[in-house]
Amino acid sequence: MSSSTRRAQDRAPRAQDRAPRAQAAARAGAAGGLAGRIRGAAAGWAPTLGRVMLGLVLAWFGYHELVAPQLWTGYVPLAGTTSAVAVALVLAHGWVLLVLAVAIIAGIALRLAAAVAALLLVEIIISLTVTGGLTDLTLRDVGVLGLALALTGETRQRAVLTG
Amino acid sequence: MRIAGESIGARGGALLAIASVAGILLGMHGWSMRHHGLPAAGLTGGTPAASAPASAAPGATQGPRPPATRAAGPKLSSQSYAAYAFQVWPAASSAARAAATGLVIRVSRQGPGISVRAGVAGQPLPAATYYPAGAKVYVIEASMGDDAGGADYNLGDDGLVVTDAQGRIVQ
Repeated sequence: MSSSTRRAQDRAPRAQDRAPRAQAAARAGAAGGLAGRIRGAAAGWAPTLGRVMLGLVLAWFGYHELVAPQLWTGYVPLAGTTSAVAVALVLAHGWVLLVLAVAIIAGIALRLAAAVAALLLVEIIISLTVTGGLTDLTLRDVGVLGLALALTGETRQRAVLTG
Repeated sequence: MRIAGESIGARGGALLAIASVAGILLGMHGWSMRHHGLPAAGLTGGTPAASAPASAAPGATQGPRPPATRAAGPKLSSQSYAAYAFQVWPAASSAARAAATGLVIRVSRQGPGISVRAGVAGQPLPAATYYPAGAKVYVIEASMGDDAGGADYNLGDDGLVVTDAQGRIVQ
């Protein structure tokens, strides 16, 4: 066998090796592209998702405070749980929560609505802390407050009602 | 329209108006239903079946008592809130103790019936209520999620039910 033939045989396996490597690189590139697309979508839609999630929390509490205020009067400070004043205050609170929820979910005056929601949450957290100390319930509301605060400065929103 | 630097368009304003009206209608419904819900016994000053005799000591023998003036009500198991009822006396389970978070419930036998004092922890307990046919005491707790750190933040969904030996509600 001539030396040139041997060299050609030596080169052949390397060429065969290169094909799987190229395929792997192509797969990695495709995977990287998919990951990049997921990252891009997450970055684009995460603020919207956060907005809708916060709105759902406010809507849930607002709705239940409106339809069954007698179950929430225990949270009203300085008022008896069965007093009409406490029920009226719960109804007013529920109404504000419901309107805020609609504004936040639809993206109407979002930063203003988020700021008002943050103020309400601060009031709730202070009230809970004063009456019962720092508990897991209070900390849960601190997390929701953080979400509301994050939305007060958020400008990259999608699926917003305009006009 | 601009409010605090934020613009609200016509469609946005219309949606907020609809939400406002819907909230008012729901609120009117809630106001009309404010007296409905879980049984408001003991904790919120429900009508006692009978006042506990001041001179009666727990376990004192006083001869046969007159029959209860009120007929027993429906069975607790037939009520919509039965799933939220936790027996606290006699023998409270760990779930019942959790349900009674933030409450103070004292039960003692008095002759053929039981005497119950129940109130909110940290507040003065109301006078004992005597149930001539009472045999079991339940706490109604619709949501454990409002109990934390030994306190109940939403007593509005709590209640106290006393049943006779057959499970019929006497209060």
